[in-house]
Amino acid sequence: MRGTRWMTIAAATLVLSVAPLRAHHAFAQEFDEKKPLKLHGTVTKWELINPHSWIHMDVKDADGKVVNWMIEGGSPNNLFRYGFTKESLPPGTEIIVEGYQAKDGSPRAVGKNLTFTDGRRLFLSGNGSGPGEPEK
Amino acid sequence: MRNRLDSLQVVVTATILILAAAPAVAQGQAYKAPRTADGHPNLNGIWQAMNTANWDIRPHAASMGPVSALGAEFSTPGGLGVIDGDDLPYLPAAAAKQKDNYANRLKLDPEVKCYLPGVPRATYMPYPFQIVQSSKTIMFVYEYAGGVRTVDMEKVTKAPADSWMGWSVGKWDGDTLVVDVTSLNDQTWFDRAGNYHSDALHVVERYTPRSPDTLMYEATVDDPKTFSRPWKITMPLYRHVEKNAQLLEYKCPEFAEEVLYGPLRKKPNNN
Amino acid sequence: MNRRCVLVIVLAAVIVSLAPGPASAQALAAAKATGTWAPPRTAEGVPDLQGIWANATSIPLERPKELGAKEFYTDEEAAARQKKSDEQAEEAVGGRQTQPGTVADVHYDLAQYGLARFQSKAAASKRTSLIVGPDGQIPTLLPDAQKRQTERAAANRGHQWDGPENRGLSERCILWPNEGPPMMPVGYNGNLEIVQGEGYVAIMQEMIHDVRVIPTDGRPHVSPRIREWMGDSRGHWEGNTLVVDTTNFTDRTAFRGSSEKLRVTERFTRTADDTLTYQFTVEDPTTWAKSWSAEIPIAKTAGPIYEYACQEGNYGMANILSGARATERKAAEEAAAKKSSN
Repeated sequence: MRGTRWMTIAAATLVLSVAPLRAHHAFAQEFDEKKPLKLHGTVTKWELINPHSWIHMDVKDADGKVVNWMIEGGSPNNLFRYGFTKESLPPGTEIIVEGYQAKDGSPRAVGKNLTFTDGRRLFLSGNGSGPGEPEK
Repeated sequence: MRNRLDSLQVVVTATILILAAAPAVAQGQAYKAPRTADGHPNLNGIWQAMNTANWDIRPHAASMGPVSALGAEFSTPGGLGVIDGDDLPYLPAAAAKQKDNYANRLKLDPEVKCYLPGVPRATYMPYPFQIVQSSKTIMFVYEYAGGVRTVDMEKVTKAPADSWMGWSVGKWDGDTLVVDVTSLNDQTWFDRAGNYHSDALHVVERYTPRSPDTLMYEATVDDPKTFSRPWKITMPLYRHVEKNAQLLEYKCPEFAEEVLYGPLRKKPNNN
Repeated sequence: MNRRCVLVIVLAAVIVSLAPGPASAQALAAAKATGTWAPPRTAEGVPDLQGIWANATSIPLERPKELGAKEFYTDEEAAARQKKSDEQAEEAVGGRQTQPGTVADVHYDLAQYGLARFQSKAAASKRTSLIVGPDGQIPTLLPDAQKRQTERAAANRGHQWDGPENRGLSERCILWPNEGPPMMPVGYNGNLEIVQGEGYVAIMQEMIHDVRVIPTDGRPHVSPRIREWMGDSRGHWEGNTLVVDTTNFTDRTAFRGSSEKLRVTERFTRTADDTLTYQFTVEDPTTWAKSWSAEIPIAKTAGPIYEYACQEGNYGMANILSGARATERKAAEEAAAKKSSN
């Protein structure tokens, strides 16, 4: 065998092992599908940790009070491989988060869709290339 | 007169014999370690520190542990100290925080939660670690919590973010392996006594073969947010020479579950 | 029948009886790396397996039933399968597959983090399943093993959210399936680093930073009193192949329902500069009537491996339990309200 042809893999028909993609029913214990939300705020801290990264952000609620939210995301390890660093999302950055709130009512959510205020996606666009593109 | 000459003869002979038997460490001649096949000092092996630094890196006497139910079994043994000096050069605010850490060490010591010990604490946890040495990469495998560090011997790179075990880059300085450790997070402690650091921590380690079965370990700690000047830790590391020595698993997450999640159980245990 | 005939028959019988499982052994032999590529050697003179490798693959473990005994796709079929996969990936982009307001939608978008399956590269392979041989399936569980599994599931039913012990090993940051052994492909971060020192081969998995430091000096396994999550591994070289024998598993490792009698034999052969052919045979006479084997191509990947400090960052466990307690409180409040209104 002279060499190895690289092959990209798609979201396959048969999923071999889903351990890191936490079983949906476990996520469903943390976050409430009946509590969707959209948050607009500024980043205070970006925890680049495993098994999930967390964006901390200040959000002004309806009364003008500032509440600090924790937004759950994915493992940052592949972001590092794409060239992202801890400097890629500095404190003070304005972002918009669409997701679902924690079941226990605390200011915590899973971030489904993350964008800058101009609509560009944070991190990677859907097809996995470079910095985000606005959603079509 | 005669007795004096005899005594002198004995002393001279004894001295010659003693000097002849001394290892090559005498007379300022450094020990030269055997080489690996690619010509570098061979540090492969299973090593362990033999001191009480993990309890307290400063000089300290024996004292009561934080859990009275464990009595003498979990009391703190004394230690001559592994630092250069009698105390750590904390900045005033940091000194206060260390005292607070000590008072609350049962709650705050990351070791209780089975968290990775960071550098240099991983070196002197009272458990073995293994050096697996190749030319391009030297891997440090720590028994405690399955900690691991890979030291890049070829290129100097930067970490994208902080981590528990830091980012290690190595080079040879004669017979000494020098490891530069950066990007350590601020979550680890130096010991169980609450000695701690910030995320500005920078550690430079030196591993020098001292004899066939010992290394001299020196770590220079630099953290301008916490200390007024850099300081050093020094200790010998001893090779495990028993037949078939090996690291065993020490996967401790399940031992920390009650501490971390006990109150969140459906039926909390009565303590 | 002459004497030679008898001898051949006897020999054949002996060989068959010694084989772990005829289909398995023959299949592995057929799958064994051929060709004349000679791997580079380390300074110690053993084959050099070092580097950073990825075991991502889209090939399923078990063969789709409709394919029967077909072990390999033709080039055209493999290309067609790939095309279908890519088309499905497009649909999965941006999480458009899930409906808002459903449980399935409650997840961060993997593709934004580079964690979607289509964002993993893999070594090419025309296999129809990772399991080798005409069968292509894991053997059925023996009755005792089936009973063990059923009892375990029954004991946990209604208690899955009681406490950390009721959660899986991955959620508890104890052990992940990619670690094994055997090392199974996983959705992302399926990276490993191999470093060889004198008399040892160290295999580090990115998740959860566990290292198997495998001695190749022929020493025996540790005492049977010592049971480990990843077992106790011993290696030796057979030509260009590193053969690793692992025993001493705990009874909670339970790979595919196995017991502490699990024994895994792995074979690592560098079959190209950028490819490791990884084969494994799994046996447990209390779980399966016969052993079964698989082959996974492992591809060289750009490093480095990043720290995966699972225990340290495990907010998830606290959040899951807290969420479960909140659900119970809500249910209790609703029940009490109903009662008082009656």
